Amino acid sequence: MLYTVDIVTENKPGVLYRITGLLTKRKINIERINAYAVHGNGISKIFFTAEVDEMMIETLTKQIYRIIEVTEVKYHQASH
Amino acid sequence: MKYTGSEILIKSLLKEKVEVIFGYPGGANMPIYDALYFYEKKLRHVLVRHEQGAAHAAEGYARVTGKPGVCLVTSGPGATNLVTGIADAMMDSVPLVCITGQVAAEYLGSDAFQETDVVGITAPITKWNCQVTHASEIVEAVAKAFYIANHGRPGPVVIDITKNAQFEEAEFVYKKVVVKKLKNPNNFTKNDVLEAAYMVNRSKRPLLLVGHGVLISGAEMEVSRLTKQGQIPVAATLHGLSATSWDNPWFVGLVGMHGRYAPNVLTNEADLIISAGMRFDDRVVGKMSEYAPLAKIIHIDVDASEHNKNIKADLPIVGDVKTFFKNLLPLVENGHRENWRQQFNLLDEKEKKAEERRSKKHKEDITMDEVINMLSKKTKGESIVVADVGQNQMFSARFYDFKRPNSYVTSGGLGTMGFALPAAIGAMIGAPKRETYAVVGDGGFQMTVQELGTILQEKLPVKILILNNEYLGMVRQWQELFFDHRYSFTHMINPDFVALASAYGIKAKKIVEKKDLDNSIAEFVKSKEAYLLEVKVAKEGNIFPMIPTGTAVDKVRLE
Repeated sequence: MLYTVDIVTENKPGVLYRITGLLTKRKINIERINAYAVHGNGISKIFFTAEVDEMMIETLTKQIYRIIEVTEVKYHQASH
Repeated sequence: MKYTGSEILIKSLLKEKVEVIFGYPGGANMPIYDALYFYEKKLRHVLVRHEQGAAHAAEGYARVTGKPGVCLVTSGPGATNLVTGIADAMMDSVPLVCITGQVAAEYLGSDAFQETDVVGITAPITKWNCQVTHASEIVEAVAKAFYIANHGRPGPVVIDITKNAQFEEAEFVYKKVVVKKLKNPNNFTKNDVLEAAYMVNRSKRPLLLVGHGVLISGAEMEVSRLTKQGQIPVAATLHGLSATSWDNPWFVGLVGMHGRYAPNVLTNEADLIISAGMRFDDRVVGKMSEYAPLAKIIHIDVDASEHNKNIKADLPIVGDVKTFFKNLLPLVENGHRENWRQQFNLLDEKEKKAEERRSKKHKEDITMDEVINMLSKKTKGESIVVADVGQNQMFSARFYDFKRPNSYVTSGGLGTMGFALPAAIGAMIGAPKRETYAVVGDGGFQMTVQELGTILQEKLPVKILILNNEYLGMVRQWQELFFDHRYSFTHMINPDFVALASAYGIKAKKIVEKKDLDNSIAEFVKSKEAYLLEVKVAKEGNIFPMIPTGTAVDKVRLE
């Protein structure tokens, strides 16, 4: 199933690396990704779209939320 | 007043009440070592013989004290040598604070001498990590590191400090840091408690599984009360061993691949599994689709990402075991489940008979279960056992009767051979009033054997029990059972372990005959100084019960 994951995080080095690491270890390939710093308040927003097993998406997003700097994670189905 | 970054680091560690550092100096952490020179009386430093030993020693320390273990190593190979230990701590939820030296900031990215991307390498195996390039950043990094390592689900953190930051000067004002999302691990409602109580009270065949989380949250009393009040059989995972005493009449032993026959088989008869601080590891559940088909599952874990990861929970509880059980206990009715308990006894009999048949096969040879049984009796089950990985680990888990909490320390998730010797050093330093026994095989012992030098230098009375079968025993057992006896490269020609220990000034003895076992273990236990006892055990001894990989728990084999 194709999902988009929306992430809000403190704007610190290494967060995107940790997120993509969680994908790499499951051999998940990113279809689309977008990340930007929100000016003035020290946060970043990251969105990526990838093919993820339905059984895995919940665990994956919860594991993304375990990253200390991440403050919000949501996921929804995406289209190609 | 201004201090160097190195001194700020040491002062920060003291503010975090650090008592001991396991470390190894090198080019990129020399300024820190220079500062340490002036704090020798306030902060103990244990010089290991390899950085992997520092990480495992820090794990051993953390496992028996509940406080983060601290490592200090240099950049490049110093840091990469630490990696196995960090990964081990991540898998087993052990709090570590690892400080790595790094090349000066101006050289970062230039492939400088002993430069490695430590933040990059350790990201997947740490709970959090950071790089510090200025002295002024050190206080916050340390405060945050300690908070993160020990709040929520514990785990390892790394602070990579460039050499210029160690030399630079800055003000020192220590300020604790609170990480909001880890502040309150409990996120369950009154309704969750009511529902759990309803499920427990209604259950005819409940089984409580205790994991590492029981020990981490200090819920031993609550577990004991819950099992006795509700008459609920309780089994332990590998890391949950010693969370409930052996003499609790409701304790039915270890579960999992080499756990007891009864709790494994009866997992699939249970109508309720209460999983307390454990994560349904594949070594515990066997074939996931055939796990506990009749049971409702209550899964208590501080880490929400563990819920529904391997096994779907009917009632997932985000919280620590102690707090949840404290809420649950007043609602649990007095149980009458003697008949259900009796079923475990019947299966225990079956297991005992299989054991007897097996020991008849080894009339002459010493077997590992005999050795561990005897160690358990002679130490009255009150010691800390630090086991390595493999058959020695499973025999010590099965046959040592733990009476006190935080007494079984081993590498569970990562299964790191070579863990036991350095971890026993850390455990002994963390709990100097208790006796510590490292139980190792001949293979694993040689993976970190250089730490005998640490024992020598620190004058630590560590007891080392080598179960020597001249094989990589667990792999050989699998080769026997699943690869038609093709013992491919598992036979070992070993050095003279007694002579090796003597070279380090450690008392040592080797026994080969059964008749010497009793006296030798007694002498070993009585010794007040470090002692290495090598026991030549049956070469082709096997550990049973066993759940072959990928089969259901109730298909557990007795032989």
